[in-house]
Amino acid sequence: MTSSTAARLSPKVLLIDPVRMLPSLLLPLLGVLFAGGFSPVSYAWAAAGLGGGVVFAVARWLTFTYAVEGDRLELRRSLISRSVKTIPLERIRGVDIASPPLLRVFGLAVLKIDTGATGQEGELNGVTLAEAERLKAVLLRQQDAAPAQAQDVLFKLPRRWLLYGPLSGAYLLTPFALAGGAIGLAFQVGEELGLGRQALRAGRELVNHPDLLILAVLVLVVLMPIAGGIMYALFTWDFTLRRREGHLVAERGLLTRRSVSLESARVRGYESVDALAERWAGVVRVWAIVTGLGDSQTRGQLLPDVPRAVAADLTARAVGPYTGPLIAHPPVARQRRLFRAVAPWLAAALAWAVLAPPAWPGLVLASLVLAGLGVPLGLDRYRSLGHGYDGTRLSARSGSLRRSQAVVEQRAVVGWRLRQTVFQRRSGVLTVIAGVGAGRGGYHAVDVSREQAVAFTRSVTPEWVAPFLVND
Amino acid sequence: MRIREPAQRVSPKARLLWLLHSLAAFVVLAAGSYIVARWIGTSRWSWVPDWMHESWWIVPAVVIALCLPALAAEPFVRYAVHRWELAGDVVYARSGFLTREWVFVPVSRIQTVDKSQGWFERLLDLATLEIRTASHAGSSRINGLAYGTAADLAELLARRAEQLRDDAT
Repeated sequence: MTSSTAARLSPKVLLIDPVRMLPSLLLPLLGVLFAGGFSPVSYAWAAAGLGGGVVFAVARWLTFTYAVEGDRLELRRSLISRSVKTIPLERIRGVDIASPPLLRVFGLAVLKIDTGATGQEGELNGVTLAEAERLKAVLLRQQDAAPAQAQDVLFKLPRRWLLYGPLSGAYLLTPFALAGGAIGLAFQVGEELGLGRQALRAGRELVNHPDLLILAVLVLVVLMPIAGGIMYALFTWDFTLRRREGHLVAERGLLTRRSVSLESARVRGYESVDALAERWAGVVRVWAIVTGLGDSQTRGQLLPDVPRAVAADLTARAVGPYTGPLIAHPPVARQRRLFRAVAPWLAAALAWAVLAPPAWPGLVLASLVLAGLGVPLGLDRYRSLGHGYDGTRLSARSGSLRRSQAVVEQRAVVGWRLRQTVFQRRSGVLTVIAGVGAGRGGYHAVDVSREQAVAFTRSVTPEWVAPFLVND
Repeated sequence: MRIREPAQRVSPKARLLWLLHSLAAFVVLAAGSYIVARWIGTSRWSWVPDWMHESWWIVPAVVIALCLPALAAEPFVRYAVHRWELAGDVVYARSGFLTREWVFVPVSRIQTVDKSQGWFERLLDLATLEIRTASHAGSSRINGLAYGTAADLAELLARRAEQLRDDAT
């Protein structure tokens, strides 16, 4: 067993801490200066505040230590009250290393330790990169001491595939979020500086000139794919998937380099997702389905947008292939998808027409257009539906605007839930949900016929349904 | 091949339990719609249609007319639907009123078995059995069991689960 003496975070953290504290200190400091009318006393108070911040940072650095003691990691904090957080090494499911720009300048990184249980995570905010790598190796050491085939690169994202990014629809709202943030900040700072009235006047000016407002919104809309693409590129830059000593390690990011380790033994399957535009381009994103992984949406990503064939090849090598066919759902499922895509908009059109007789023809028209669009949407939703089992893995697919297909190992299934609404009962279909102790917890095969439900559950886990089957 | 219904009914007293639930829901709905409709109907707001001012009592009347049959039928429908069975080390339960659910949980995947008693359940000496696995979709609740039955079943499942435990979650 390895044992090391207690260590502190890198002292370079002290250089970064004041910068990190700045945003939260800025407004109070400005407030003190303004309240004191920029008198010498107010400067003294502000300086005292700054000094206090620095002393606090030093004290925090001095009183926080970590150590690997035998088979557990101990994080000791004794600034105000003493606390020791003990994380048994065997509980550690994954270790993330991230280095945000500020930390990266000083060659530092943040080490996040995931134990599966919420509130049990450990964080070392500011260790040197070398120390982070060393700790990661110690924390994730395997009992079976795998031979040194250490770095097996499974996949490295070619730069030009970053161009697929905007198709995913991810980060598309970035311009609006940035504009909203800027406006919020302007108001907040304006308020502090007593400029509230001017800001309000500017706002009123904008409302009085709707053309300006529309122009601003148009600019933001045009910026959507560009800004979205840039964000996507920043976050997925040089995405690399490696296999290392029983772990899948995904590394990505330009400014903040993130590395996520997933224990292969806990990976139970994967979920591939493609939006409408992505399907048109033939690309797909993939997430791993992992037991006991918190925040799996951001951390479990196995592949960014890559061509379908590449994704199929990679998931087959990294997790395991799904070789079976997807069984289509009965035609009545198509009627149900169509009805659900069209009827609400028709009902809305009718309601607008009845409730507001002369006015709002625009709303009626808009509802009718949406109802018309519901036809191809409903048909596509039906085309997406499918489920199957190939002997080791089961699969279920659904969705149109965001289609997703889950592939899960048979041994990960912990139970079945069949669900039938009143309308499904009348159509003779039901939803089969495979309970899985990983990922989203349940994977749905929507609108399968009664016979398909029996056949599906029986093929995957024969002994679980056999006692309850009868011949007609 | 088709899936048959589970063998065991829940306790007959469960009907009384669901009737009490229905009654509580009815009181809340009727009183709630009455208060809201009267508040809006007697206000002088311009957007309120005229008929609402004159005869606001229609709203609670419609609510009651629609809900009463459903709430009255619910206990009896539920008693017909809710069933359970333990066979071949698999817990099989059916439940629901408008939406029906059939749940299959193998004992080997059970993580915890709890029995709980609400207010009305304690009054009627009933209990709810909660069978949890690593997935919410693979977990089951059996409502309206007689307390003795629930206790015995919980005991049996917990013991058997320990024997069968394999950790392939």
